[in-house]
Amino acid sequence: MILLKKLLRTAWCYKAQFISMIIMMTLGIGIFLGFNMEWKTIEYDVLNFFDDTKYADYRLYSENGFTRDDLDKIASIDGVDAATRYLSVNVELIGDGKKSLALDVSENYTVSTFTLMSGRDYDAGGDGVWLSDKFAKLNGIGIGDTVTLEFHGTRFDCETVGLIKSGEHMICLADSNQVMPDFHVFGYACISPAKLKAILREKAEKTVAEQLTAAGVPADAARRQAAEAVTEEMLETAENRVYAQINLRSGMEKEALEDAVREKLGRTLMVVPKEDHAVYKEAMGEATEGKAMGSILPVLFLAIAILTMVTTMHRIAAKEKTQIGVLKALGFRNRAILLHYSFYGLFIGIVGSALGSVLGYFVCKAVMSENGMMGTYFDMPDWTAATPAFCWPVIVCAILLLTLISFLSVRAQLRGTAADALRPYTPKKMKRSVFERLPFIGKLGFATKWNLRDLMRHKSRFAMTLVGIVGCMILLVGGLGMRDTMAGFLDLLDNGVSHYATKVNLVEGTGYERAKGLIEDLDADWESYAGVSIDGYTATLDIVHNDKGRFDVIDAGNDPIDLRDDGVYLCLRLSDRAKIGEYLEFSPYGGDKTYRVKVVGYNRSIMTESVTMTDKLANDLGIDYSISAVYTEKTSDEIPSSELIAGKQDKRQLMDSFGSFVAIMDGMVIILVIAAVILGTVVLYNLGVMSYVERSRELATLKVLGFRSKKIGRLLISQNVWLTVIGVILGLPAGLGTLYWMLSALASEYELKLMLGPLTYTVSILLTFGVSLFVGWAVARKNRKIDMVEALKNAE
Amino acid sequence: MHGKLCDVRNELLLREKQAMKTIVRFDNVSKIYRSGEHELRALDHVSFTLDEGKFVVILGPSGAGKSTLLNLLGGLDSPSEGTITVSDADISKLTDNELADYRASTVGFVFQFYNLIPTLTVIENVRLVSEISKNALDARDVIDRVGLSDHLQNFPSELSGGEQQRISIARALCKNPKILLCDEPTGALDSETGVMVLKLLLEMARNYGKTIVIVTHNQNIAKMADVVIRVRNGKIRSVEEQESPLSADEVEW
Repeated sequence: MILLKKLLRTAWCYKAQFISMIIMMTLGIGIFLGFNMEWKTIEYDVLNFFDDTKYADYRLYSENGFTRDDLDKIASIDGVDAATRYLSVNVELIGDGKKSLALDVSENYTVSTFTLMSGRDYDAGGDGVWLSDKFAKLNGIGIGDTVTLEFHGTRFDCETVGLIKSGEHMICLADSNQVMPDFHVFGYACISPAKLKAILREKAEKTVAEQLTAAGVPADAARRQAAEAVTEEMLETAENRVYAQINLRSGMEKEALEDAVREKLGRTLMVVPKEDHAVYKEAMGEATEGKAMGSILPVLFLAIAILTMVTTMHRIAAKEKTQIGVLKALGFRNRAILLHYSFYGLFIGIVGSALGSVLGYFVCKAVMSENGMMGTYFDMPDWTAATPAFCWPVIVCAILLLTLISFLSVRAQLRGTAADALRPYTPKKMKRSVFERLPFIGKLGFATKWNLRDLMRHKSRFAMTLVGIVGCMILLVGGLGMRDTMAGFLDLLDNGVSHYATKVNLVEGTGYERAKGLIEDLDADWESYAGVSIDGYTATLDIVHNDKGRFDVIDAGNDPIDLRDDGVYLCLRLSDRAKIGEYLEFSPYGGDKTYRVKVVGYNRSIMTESVTMTDKLANDLGIDYSISAVYTEKTSDEIPSSELIAGKQDKRQLMDSFGSFVAIMDGMVIILVIAAVILGTVVLYNLGVMSYVERSRELATLKVLGFRSKKIGRLLISQNVWLTVIGVILGLPAGLGTLYWMLSALASEYELKLMLGPLTYTVSILLTFGVSLFVGWAVARKNRKIDMVEALKNAE
Repeated sequence: MHGKLCDVRNELLLREKQAMKTIVRFDNVSKIYRSGEHELRALDHVSFTLDEGKFVVILGPSGAGKSTLLNLLGGLDSPSEGTITVSDADISKLTDNELADYRASTVGFVFQFYNLIPTLTVIENVRLVSEISKNALDARDVIDRVGLSDHLQNFPSELSGGEQQRISIARALCKNPKILLCDEPTGALDSETGVMVLKLLLEMARNYGKTIVIVTHNQNIAKMADVVIRVRNGKIRSVEEQESPLSADEVEW
C-alpha cells in the first residue's frame, strides 16, 4: 500500500514523462486499434451485406445477351449454386435532365438482391420500382410517389413501392469516370422482370406503331395493330438482348468456370469474378488500405512510445537509484523492488491501452459510420464495429513489453550490494571521440561545442529526438502531400484531360455507323472501352478518337500524347507487361480472337487499367467494337433525346462529385496534422525535460558563473534548432518516400503523380520548426527557476 | 628605543588598516525560508564587514547558516531582510539579470564538487568565462599557473579530483573577480591534495590580489585565515582577526 502511494507520488514527480508516455501509448494503441478496426469493420459489414443481398461471385457478359436456355446451361454447371439473368443499365430520371439511375433487374432474384429499408417486399410480378433510399431522400421522393424513367428512348412511369439498399451498388458510381458517389444526381433502382417485360412490350409496340403511322395507318389503328403484332417471341428476343449479364453464386475457380462456360455455351465469354467487379474491388481495396494504414502509422507511434519508454524509464530508474538503494538497504528483496518498479510500466501500459482502446473506437467510428468519412462512399445498412482478434494479444504484448522495459531498467540499478545501489547514478564519462580530431572543432563557439558534445554523450536521447522530428515531418509531408497530389489529380482531370462539357454514354452495342449521326451532330470525340484479357489478366481496351481535342490521353509527365496509329499505349500500371517496342497480345472477351500489337508508349490512365489505341489502328486490326461514350462541348440541355443515349454526365457535376472525396481527404489531412503536432510536441517535450533535468547541474553552473537566463535559454533552444534542421533534412525524403509508398499502396486504383506544392514544403517545415521551437521555449523557460544552490549540492 | 619601535609598528599597522578598503558589508541580514506556516531563519540579523585582500574563513557546523551566507554574498540568493554591500554596491535588491552580471564580474566560485562542465575540455571550461566577463584573464596563462598546462585538451572526467579542483580555481580566477568564494573546496579531497589546493588558493589569491572567502567546518583551515567568522544557528558568534596565520604546510591535518 505504501509502495503504491510511492508509485503515485513518483508518477506525480515525473508527470511530464508519465503523461507523455501515456499519450504516446494512447496514440499508438488508438491508431493501431482504430485503423485495424476500420478494415475489419469494412470486411465484416460489407461481406455480411454482400451475403445478405446475394452479391454475385461471378458475372458473365455477352454483348448479344443471354437466352433462358443459356441461363439453364450455366445453372446446370457443377459448382454453380445459383444464377440469374441480370440487367443493369443507366437510365435517366425525367425531371431536370441531370439525374440518372442504374436500373437493375434480377430475373429470378436468386442472385444480386437488395435489402428492403422500408415499403413493400420484392415481388417478381410487381409493377412498381424499388428505389435507393439515399437517392430518394436526397431528391425528396417518398413511397407512393411516381417517378418517370427513360429506358432506351422509352419513358415509363413507376410507383415507388419500396426504399432499398443494394450490395451491387454499395459504392454507387455512374461509371469509371466517377470517383465518389453523389446521390443527388445518381442512384439506383430495381424493377421486377414483369415490369421490364411490360416496358419492352411498350417499346416494341411504340416502334411498330411508328412504322405503321409512317406507312399511313391512322394513329389509333396503328396502336391497335401494333399491340396485336407484338408477339411473345418478339418480346423474348428483346428480353434476351437486354439481359446482357448472368450473375451467379459459385465457389469455383475462375479458370474452371471459364472452361465450363465455354463447354456449355460453345463460346468464350467475359467472366468477371467479384474480385474484379468495381464495388467489391473498391470495398476490399479500402480494407487493404485500412490494413496498410493499420500497419504504418501505429508501428510508428508504438515504436516511438516504446523507445520513449526505454529512454525515460532508464532515466527515471537512474534518478531513483538512491531510493532503490534505500529500499534495498531497508531489507526489501530485489524481487519486491523489481515488482514495484515494473508496476510503473504496467501502470502506463494499462492506462495508455485503456485510453487507446477508447480512442481506437472513436477513430474507427469517425471513419466507419453512416455519418463518418466512409458514410459518403459506402451505402450499406449496418455499421457494426468489428475488431480483428489479433489486436487484443498485440495490446497485451505492448503492455507486457512496457512492464519488461521497467523491469530491465530497474534491474540494471539493482546490481551489486546495497551500498552500490545507494551511490547516486553516475552519468557516462566524457571521452574524446573521433569527432574531437576534426580540424574545425577547435574553432567552434562554446555553445556549439557544448551542444555537439551533449548530443554525442546522450546518443539515445539524440536519436529519439530525431525520430520524433522525422515522424512529425513524415506525417506532415504525407498528409499535406497527399492532399496536394489529389488536388493536382483533380485539376488534371478537370483541366488537363477533359475539355468537354458533357459525356454522353451510349447504350451497349452501339456501333460506329449507328452513332455516326449523333457524333456529327454533337461535334464530338468518342471512346470505346471493353474488357480484354492479357494472359488471363483483365484490362480495358480503350479505343479513342480525339481529333477534336475533347479529351486527351496523357503521358507520365501529364503532357498530352499525339497518339500514333502503329501501336498501343499501356497505362503505367501495365507497363511491366511489355517494354516499348515489344509486342503485346490481348483477347477481347466474347470472342476467340487474339491480337498482337506493338507497344509504342506508356500513358497515365486516370482511372482504368487500360491498353489504348486509336480507332484507325483498331479498324486496321479488324477489332469489332462499339462506342461507349461520346464527348461534346454541348451542355446536356442542348443534346437532343436519342434512343442511343443511355445517360448524360455533366463534367461540372462529375467534378462536384469529387467534393465529398476532397472532404474525406481534408479530414485525413487534419487527423495527420494533429497527430504530427501531438507526436512532435510529446516526444520533444519529454526528451527536452529529460535533457533539462540531466543538464540542470551544468545549467546551474553556467548561472553561477554569471550567464543570464536568456543566454542559457538560447543555448537550450539552439540544440532544438539543430536537431530540427537535421530532422527536417532527413524527414523530407522520408516523408516523400512514405507518401510515394502510401500512394502506391493506398491508391492503387489511380495512377497518381506526386505533386507537392511549395506551400506544403513550407508549411511542413515551418510547423515542424514551430513545434520544436515552442517546445524548446517551454523547456528553456524552466531554467529561469533553476535552483542554483540545490542543483550544485551533490557530487556528479 | 623599544617603545619607539613599537609606536612605529603600530602606526604602520594603523595606516595599513586605514588603507585597506572594506569590500563586503553585511548589515542586519536575515534569510528566512517559509514553508506553509513554518519559518526557518537560516541567517538571523547578521552584520559584519570584510576587507579587501583578506583570506576569510567562515566556520561552523552543518546547518549553521554558513553556506546561506556564502550564497547571499555570491548573489545566488537574495536576503529576506537587511542589505549586503559589495564594493559600495547594494546587491540585496538586484534583479535576476543584475545578479547574473554581478556574478559574472565580481565573484568567482569554487565548489566542493568542482562543477566543471563535463562536455567541455579543460581549456574550454576555463575559457568559458570569457564569454561573459569583460576583464577575463588569459585562460592558458591561468591554467599554466595552476600547473595543468599539459592537460588543456582533457575532459574533466579524465582528471583526478585535485586536478579538477585546480581547474575549478583557474576558472574562478580567469574571470578576474574581486572576491573568490569557496564552499568546502577541500571537502571531496584527501588531506594531501587538500593542502595542495589550499596552498594554490592562497598563492593565487595573493598573486592576483583577491579576497578569498572559504566556507568550511574544518577547524584546521581556519588556522590559515586572516579573519575567522564563526557562525552558529544563523548568527555570527565571533569575528576574529589572526595576526599570524599559519601556512598550509604548518597546519596539522
